[in-house]
Amino acid sequence: MTAYLVQRRPREGGDPYVEDFQFDLFLTFPASKRRSWLWVPAFAGTSGNGVSGVTAETIIQSLASGLLMGLLYGLIAVGLSLIFGLMNIVNFAHGEFLMLAMYAAFFLFAYFAIDPLLAMPFVAAAMFIFGAAIYLLIVRFAMRAKTNVGMVQIFATFGLAIVLRGLAQYFFTPDYRSITHSWLGGKTISIGGIFLPVPQLVGAGLSILAFGALYFFIKRTDFGRALEATREDAGAVALVGIDQNRVFALGWGLGSALVGLAGAIMATFFYIYPDVGASFALIAYVVVALGGFGSVFGAFAGGILVGLVEASTALIMPPSLKSVGIYAVYLLVVFIRPRGLFGSI
Amino acid sequence: MTITRRNVLLGGAASAALITTAARAQTKEVVIGVIYPLSGASAQIGVDAQRAFETAADIINNKYDFDLPLAREEGLPGLGGAKIRLVFADHQADPQKGRAEAERLITQEKVCAIIGTYQSAVAVTVSQICERYQIPFLSADNSSPSLHRRGLKFYFRPAPHDEMFSKAMFDFFDALKKKGQKIETLSLFHEDTIFGTDSANAQLALAKERGYKVVADIKYRANSPSLTAEVQQLKAADADVLMPSSYTTDGILLVKTMAELGYKPKAIVAQDAGFSEKALYDAVGDKLEGVISRGSFSLDLAAKRPMVGAINEMYKKRSGKDFNDYSSRQFMGLIVMADAINRAKSTDGEKIREALAATNMPGDHTIMPWKDVKFDAQGQNDDADPVLLQYVGKKFVTIFPPQAAVAEAIWPMK
Amino acid sequence: MQDITHAQRRRRDLIIAAVLIAVAACVPMFVKDVYVQNIMVLTLMYAALSQSWNILGGYCGQISLGHALYFGIGAYTTAILFTKFGILPWFGMLIGGFISAAIALALGYPTFRLGGHYFAIATIVIAEIAFLLFLNWDWAGAALGIDIPVRADSWLKFQFTRSKLPYFYFALAFAAVAWLVTWWLENSKWGYWWRAVKDNSEAAESLGVVVFKSKMGAAAISAFLTAIGGAFYAQFVSYIDPESVMSFQFSLLISLPAVLGGIGTLWGPLFGAAILIPVTELTRSFIGGSGRGVDLIVYGSLIMAISLMRPDGLLGLFSRKRKKEAVR
Repeated sequence: MTAYLVQRRPREGGDPYVEDFQFDLFLTFPASKRRSWLWVPAFAGTSGNGVSGVTAETIIQSLASGLLMGLLYGLIAVGLSLIFGLMNIVNFAHGEFLMLAMYAAFFLFAYFAIDPLLAMPFVAAAMFIFGAAIYLLIVRFAMRAKTNVGMVQIFATFGLAIVLRGLAQYFFTPDYRSITHSWLGGKTISIGGIFLPVPQLVGAGLSILAFGALYFFIKRTDFGRALEATREDAGAVALVGIDQNRVFALGWGLGSALVGLAGAIMATFFYIYPDVGASFALIAYVVVALGGFGSVFGAFAGGILVGLVEASTALIMPPSLKSVGIYAVYLLVVFIRPRGLFGSI
Repeated sequence: MTITRRNVLLGGAASAALITTAARAQTKEVVIGVIYPLSGASAQIGVDAQRAFETAADIINNKYDFDLPLAREEGLPGLGGAKIRLVFADHQADPQKGRAEAERLITQEKVCAIIGTYQSAVAVTVSQICERYQIPFLSADNSSPSLHRRGLKFYFRPAPHDEMFSKAMFDFFDALKKKGQKIETLSLFHEDTIFGTDSANAQLALAKERGYKVVADIKYRANSPSLTAEVQQLKAADADVLMPSSYTTDGILLVKTMAELGYKPKAIVAQDAGFSEKALYDAVGDKLEGVISRGSFSLDLAAKRPMVGAINEMYKKRSGKDFNDYSSRQFMGLIVMADAINRAKSTDGEKIREALAATNMPGDHTIMPWKDVKFDAQGQNDDADPVLLQYVGKKFVTIFPPQAAVAEAIWPMK
Repeated sequence: MQDITHAQRRRRDLIIAAVLIAVAACVPMFVKDVYVQNIMVLTLMYAALSQSWNILGGYCGQISLGHALYFGIGAYTTAILFTKFGILPWFGMLIGGFISAAIALALGYPTFRLGGHYFAIATIVIAEIAFLLFLNWDWAGAALGIDIPVRADSWLKFQFTRSKLPYFYFALAFAAVAWLVTWWLENSKWGYWWRAVKDNSEAAESLGVVVFKSKMGAAAISAFLTAIGGAFYAQFVSYIDPESVMSFQFSLLISLPAVLGGIGTLWGPLFGAAILIPVTELTRSFIGGSGRGVDLIVYGSLIMAISLMRPDGLLGLFSRKRKKEAVR
């Protein structure tokens, strides 16, 4: 591996996106060496010829993109974490909740021409009602199991996920949808050659805001304290006269509303179809577990970490293996800290 | 203990045909199995395919004034006017399920031929089962070149495969170079499935053979939540041509991410798939002016062959979409199969196989820009000339090969 | 007194199993339809797989959602050894089983310390890493998978072009073996420890080390049997690719019958598979053709309904007495 500074030659024709004459730190890997160093030869075919230079710009860009994506992963995952923290349930239909939120934003856009940014409160409200309803109609009953509650709820929500996918295909058709024009979509900010897409920037900002609000909500409001208390000792709470079902329903509503926010913002830059949730569900579980089940801050940190690890893995390994980096970090963390980074349960 | 479902699941056209059949009574029917992903992540393709097959069945079963085999007669004259009945089955993109469905169609529904399957992995198992039961399998839209090289006797593919498609692309590059364009470096961008792998392998081999430098060969996980890192590498490589092999979802994300990261490729020559889907152009068409995709179908053929436009309208009425590279191949798949059954004058697997092997359908009797339909010993049609299409002004125009082209290529893309 | 009823029950279970196997062995005489035979093979295969999963997931309470890893290793070992080295699948099957068992032991050491969901997600993630590696491993066929050429019917190569019967009897034997192993384990020293640990956390602490070792043993047995199932699948379908043998969905499918039938019970996996697999196949075959996702809705609702209405597994429907006994 060698590093050297070069002056980049201006591109022919001039590119409006790239500032001319810029100094970059080049880190180059001889192609053959890079392969054997990074990966066992059997997998060499996947790294292909690769790209000969990893520049400082590439690294910064990767980390910036990874950070934005990570904040979004955090926002997607926080609802999962909240629900888990409240009642020790992993919602295996979480990805499908995200899918529904994206469809909600899409249909508001397609039929009422409401920009996803404006639609966000509506989507969140709709998801709140939906989440609370799912709790009252389904999850409540799954929790009555006397033995193996964990498995029962995993499969109740897994069944729900399949049903939701089927329903989406039935009512929305399997066509790929996408929001073509929105206030945020397609816009991008460039700072010194680093590109930051506006939708992801807004998503990241929203994620920080949502986490802040959630923190405040849990620590400072009566309902938040009721949530916290229910999670610590449901039995005692019942004695005090708090209706446990109501708290749980509101918890599910809140968790789903947060996914709703994520879905609305994602609808501006991602495609939408009945199976879209699957790509994000596993990442959301890993984010939550990595941060520590039940810890809201853990989901935030876990999301950022996953985003950064994913982006940097793609720099050193074939991109098709970039998830391996995330998974390896998860394993590493739980082997050292069996309850994740900030977990208490 | 057999389970039959008789009239439950017939396609619209086929069931309409059945009613008229019942009215006249006593006309035989020819049952053909159609195996596609009708639920799950690629359900959209399967549903569109259903419409394409129904359109073809309609044309075969009823009288239409098209220069297409079997269009002018009702049903199959070789079998006394028997009508085609389609039985659809769902393989959910799972090779095991595809195999089970093929077996069910053969043993229970008594289909005399099977057409499928979109996913190449499923075509592997379905064609194996067909071989075991000596039932012809027609691979309508699988483009993996490994499929016809397995020594199967009952495997047929009228459409081109990825090596033929890729060869057309490199012929096109060579032609452009002769005209003085600078094309030296290529970036490959392909998903980690059979389709992506086969396509990239074909392109890598051709690049080496013809002296192009592959500056980035990026394999990505299909349906990734983000393609930022991948696009950065493409941007850093900044090749003269970007060659994606991606389905609709990743295609949309790729184009969006390129725009977000300020990467404007000099030219894109796509291995079809997502880049021939309406959904992709609905989503990001404004960023794709001048993109080139390989294809086996082009609507501008309608100018030369009016029936292409008329048949497209029939399909559009059913599906709300124009024919694309997939639906047109699916449509032709049934026409080729029905033509062979008609000539075989039998629903016996071996006889149909012989008829298929003897197929000689001139190109102008198809809706495709092909020279003709003839199968080699491996069941591949080597005369299915692929075309390159360029997306200009919201529609595709044929730009290569010269004999099929209706316009000059705009190079580099805008 | 209780010991006697216990011993009686165990004998009764064994007799029921023997009768069931005998009856099942006769079924193909009356059922000639290959589609139905195919469903029976799959049902037995999933019953056996789920039974193997149940040893670790049910009896030991280590909820693994990554058993596709062992299944895939079994399938790949057999297929690679046969297509590349000409080693007969019967040996490949055993080799795959031992490799899987070794991997299970190596993974058990660090992962068994993890609690509940952390363990479950660790198993998902490990299986997913293996899945991605296989998907990118050119020598093992990568995404192209491995196509096992089928020439002629042969018991030696364990491949049959049209007949499903050999596969049926293998699957039956496989399910019987998995059942017997579970039956035997239930009453072994290990079985007592596991029950003690579940019922009583103090017992868990005093038994800590030995229980840990017994769980490692359970993981190895479970992985070995699952790999045999994978090898069988490779022969049965004669084509494998990472997507169909190693995906996360598959891990769930392996555990589903046990959960539906009754987790940690002797008969649960068989019972769950007998209901779940035919429903899965029939909904796809008979309503999947509509292309509107109705099969998914029916299938998902069924899973949901069963897990909600019979949280302790469908088996609870029949043996109310035993359920009471279990709850005590």
